[in-house]
Amino acid sequence: MSAGLEWSIIGPAFLAGLVVLATHVPLGREVLARGIVFIDLAIAQIAALGVIAAYGLGLEDSPWAIQAAAAGAALLGALLMTWTERRWPQLQEALIGTAFVLAASGGLLLLAGSPHGGEHLKDLLAGQILWVSYAEVGAVALVSALLLAARAYLARRASRAGFYLIFAVAVTASVQLVGVYLVFASLIVPALACRGLDTARALPLGFALGALGYGLGLLVSAWRDLPSGPVIVWTLAALALPCGLALRRRPLSPRRARPQGVDARGP
Amino acid sequence: MKRIVLALALLLPALPVHGALRVFACEPEWAALIRELAGDRAEVFSATTAQQDPHRIEARPSLIAQLRRADLLVCTGAELEAGWLPMLLRRANNAKVQIGAAGHFEAAAHVELLEKPARADRADGDVHAAGNPHLHLDPRNIARVARALSARLAELDAANAATYQARHDDFQQRWRQAIERWEASAAPLRGVPVVVAHRSWPYLLRWLGLEEVAALEPKPGVPPNSGHLAEVLALAQARRVPMALYAAYQDPRPARWLAERSEVTAVELPFTVGGGGSADLFELFELTVTRLLEARR
Repeated sequence: MSAGLEWSIIGPAFLAGLVVLATHVPLGREVLARGIVFIDLAIAQIAALGVIAAYGLGLEDSPWAIQAAAAGAALLGALLMTWTERRWPQLQEALIGTAFVLAASGGLLLLAGSPHGGEHLKDLLAGQILWVSYAEVGAVALVSALLLAARAYLARRASRAGFYLIFAVAVTASVQLVGVYLVFASLIVPALACRGLDTARALPLGFALGALGYGLGLLVSAWRDLPSGPVIVWTLAALALPCGLALRRRPLSPRRARPQGVDARGP
Repeated sequence: MKRIVLALALLLPALPVHGALRVFACEPEWAALIRELAGDRAEVFSATTAQQDPHRIEARPSLIAQLRRADLLVCTGAELEAGWLPMLLRRANNAKVQIGAAGHFEAAAHVELLEKPARADRADGDVHAAGNPHLHLDPRNIARVARALSARLAELDAANAATYQARHDDFQQRWRQAIERWEASAAPLRGVPVVVAHRSWPYLLRWLGLEEVAALEPKPGVPPNSGHLAEVLALAQARRVPMALYAAYQDPRPARWLAERSEVTAVELPFTVGGGGSADLFELFELTVTRLLEARR
């Protein structure tokens, strides 16, 4: 069935994908270099914890209060991770994993008292890319542009806290747009495929790969009438695999012979 | 050119009656009711299947495309679809089916809902402020909704009003006879105590006179905890409860947990058309009553 194959149906979803990729392709490269792959799951879960707490405090009627609670919790989580990376750099990945399960199960404990937050929690973590409107894409695009500007400014100072704070806001905004699976895939999969390249080549290629993955995923989803989010995750991976293998086989030029992931901004 | 005309002519028999109403049903039970009331006058699309939880669904492109071209939307209402229908209506942007339009039909507006909370307190769980929305499991409610829905079909497609009236009268007559039959065969179920997984069944239980003694979820939407499960187990043993009910789309594990520790039989009910292989509304209730009677023995 191809009844869903109309630009007005898949167009906003495709633009949402491009906006998410704009911040996540560069951030993903850094996440991979730092070896903290699961940080986006942890940050999203901590943002959700903030939302449940806001419900517990009776703030559920104000969408701004909910957004502030989500971003606030994510930023606190980011500060905590900045501190743990400085204090125990070798343990960072394990600590992030532990933060994820603590936030997730802490949410369940809070929900036992206020189950209505559960609805919103699921909305927050399982954003559905097809429900996205142009207005929502516009809002997240604005936030993303500000984050990219802040990142360009901070890049010159190799700021560790800057990375975690920008990351926290980017993930909180995008997870509500497209859901946690697509955020993870957009962050890690293009970065993984292009990990052997230097930044100047990896970013455009990663972005092109991501855009192709979203476009193809939406087409397949319209053609076979399958849920769009999960299909895009698979098309992203299917495109990244041959791409990553082909890039690995190419002999490294002297320019790319440095240890992988070490950028101007390395930790 | 000739070839194109020929191809189009060959396609024609596959299409439904020219000018048929396009109906978007949120749940399979309303798609089935439209088929009874409109026959080939309507082209029906069901957004969910019996294997899906109607509270939440994954977004597929066809949902937007189908709602965009629909003349009539038929949903349960009472907040059952609150998690997805508002987003879908906004994305479909079809004036004919927006809230308040003639093409927007909510079944809950035509029946008396049970379990209306005296106070809408979030502490009581995932409670629907409008009342329990699973109203289709009392066949007398189906009859009430059928009356209102048939009138709505006649309003939207006035040229065929007589057809809708005739189909409705025929359906109501068959339905009345079926209800009498089910009520007679289900007489032994009257007063039988049952445990439920989620509070999906008040309409069915009230119709057949079954008594809900406990729910495995301490509050709707909250997973069971050990203290609550121990209470339900003690209650099930003390009252000699013969069965624990759960819907085809729900997790059977809580009911099976109870069945392993007591005399209780875990009973999977179809819940809606398509569940347990039921093909229409008649088979849905036939199968439900049969499964309950089997577990009673």
